Amino acid sequence: MSAVNVSSGVGGLIYVPRADVPVAELPALLLPAYGETVLMVGIVMAVVLVIGTPLGVLLHNAAPGGLFERPALHAVLGWIISVGRSLPFLILMASIVPFTRFITGTNIGIAAAVVPMSLAGIAFFTRIVENALRSVPPSIVRVARASGGSNLQIMRSAQFGEAVPAVLGGLTIQVIAMIEYSAIAGTIGAGGIGYVAVTYGYQRFDNTVMLATILILVATVAFVQVAGDRLVRWVTPQKRLQRA
Amino acid sequence: MISLLELTKTYGRGADSVTVLDRLNFEVGAGEIFAVTGPSGAGKSTLAQCINLLERPTSGSVVVNGEDLSSLPEKRLRAARRRIGTVFQSASLLSRRTASENIALPLEYLGVTPGEIQARVGELIDRVGLGPKAHSYPFQLSGGQAQRVGIARALALRPSILLADEATSGLDPDTTSSVVELLKQLRTDLDLTVVFITHEMDTVRQIADSVARLERGRIVETGALVDLLTDHGSPLGRALQPRRGFAAADDGATTWYVTYDSADVPGDWIQRVSADLAVPVHLLGASVETVHGINTGSATLGIASEDEGLVGHVLTRYGLIGTPDGRRESGAGGAPISPVRSGAVPALEGAA
Ligand SMILES: Nc1ncnc2c1ncn2[C@@H]1O[C@H](COP(=O)(O)OP(=O)(O)OP(=O)(O)O)[C@@H](O)[C@H]1O
Ligand SMILES: [Mg+2]
Repeated sequence: MSAVNVSSGVGGLIYVPRADVPVAELPALLLPAYGETVLMVGIVMAVVLVIGTPLGVLLHNAAPGGLFERPALHAVLGWIISVGRSLPFLILMASIVPFTRFITGTNIGIAAAVVPMSLAGIAFFTRIVENALRSVPPSIVRVARASGGSNLQIMRSAQFGEAVPAVLGGLTIQVIAMIEYSAIAGTIGAGGIGYVAVTYGYQRFDNTVMLATILILVATVAFVQVAGDRLVRWVTPQKRLQRA
Repeated sequence: MISLLELTKTYGRGADSVTVLDRLNFEVGAGEIFAVTGPSGAGKSTLAQCINLLERPTSGSVVVNGEDLSSLPEKRLRAARRRIGTVFQSASLLSRRTASENIALPLEYLGVTPGEIQARVGELIDRVGLGPKAHSYPFQLSGGQAQRVGIARALALRPSILLADEATSGLDPDTTSSVVELLKQLRTDLDLTVVFITHEMDTVRQIADSVARLERGRIVETGALVDLLTDHGSPLGRALQPRRGFAAADDGATTWYVTYDSADVPGDWIQRVSADLAVPVHLLGASVETVHGINTGSATLGIASEDEGLVGHVLTRYGLIGTPDGRRESGAGGAPISPVRSGAVPALEGAA
């Protein structure tokens, strides 16, 4: 009854308890899973930030009216990202299994989940960054150019600098989406809170675990949202200094 | 000093192309403030962007202090831009940087050391009278203060040319005046050549030494401000004059529209005209101001004299040009109006 092992990468047969997991054993079950979720989302977010940010800036500036117009590059890049964005995550994950296995050597577990999550996340975040940069008034870029800035300087200080609140707002949405994706990835045995929810709550009708995972996810998402809002507030002088 | 030689800017290619600037030529001397006016869509902002090299001219050149900047390769363009400071409409400050940090922007781009940046920014902030606001963010600044930050930023790299595109548009009249005064002061102190682009005629009268009017990409008229204002034959001169409403003339009196047409109209001209004609002269409306020490403006008078020829003659005696308003009305509808001396007649607005 208590011989429950849900560490990462577990696939295949597990002992199936008939009754719900007792409340006292929930921490032992959920905490490691929660740690896995945090790890998964953390790795994915790091990859996404490092690759998605420059990609978003590139996409924005390769567009007509950007700092270095490259219509062909923009079209190709935009198309790839749109394809990535249009696939439901479950389909994307399944369709790139060979690629995932090529990269990680496995198609199960955290490492395997991180690959499709990163790809979907990069596509997502690239659009977020592009959108955030688009909201920066063109006059700001004109000022930066007239001030003698190089393209790199302009992108960094004028475009991205002005867009930081919007990017962070988007980042908040992104983290929440990635938590959701990690749950979907749980279905391929990626581990994490989503995996527990699926194997216990869904497959074994364990309402206690189901309820606990729901509460944890709701609390986590709420926390991420509040933290994100705070962060946006902090990087927006007008909001930071005009406290009611 | 800056000169434009046959500057042309065409957008698009082939059949769809539009020539926004059409062979412009003008020269602005060191320490001169040159205003460019014109209706919306005339090409003023395009001109500004060609001057500060944000846009490449299609043909022709922009010559600054003897060097043709428009033909420079892309890499050297950035360095060349630093010789021209630009003040933009509504300042366009980076919202997440303080006033000081905004002013520091061009210095950072140039790679100046933090210590030097601090010293220079402090200097500039004092120069534009914003000391107490150094650490304020743009949202904490009034329009005029933000514009001062924009001016300080434009001056950060010690340019010899200052370019302002609608720098005072959207500011209230008092703030506009204070910004104009600052620019004039800076021009004198730093020997700046200023190209001041605006559609606001009141601002042009306050600031300009010379004026050009741009219409559909061409300069249709240009000249020294005072000359234009005291030349009744100049459409630009008339466009520069404010139009005010005026009271109705008494029964039996003719309404005359009178403009200053020379640089030495005596201050007591109304009294003198009245004495010469031996009839009372009623002042019905007027807008008169001193520009570069010279009286300019226009007035609407009620003169109880039947002899229009005589009135016109007396007015010319004092450097004025008059048009009887009755004629203007009878001439409405396109028939040529004959002022007492040759020249077009200004449209009158708000006849009460
Ligand atoms: N990048 C562009 N491509 C095509 N046409 C352009 C471009 N930029 C400006 N134009 C056209 O050039 C003309 C002049 O525009 P410009 O902005 O220079 O006018 P302006 O005199 O500054 O007007 P305003 O007083 O409204 O600011 C307009 O007809 C505009 O449509
Ligand atoms: Mg304009």
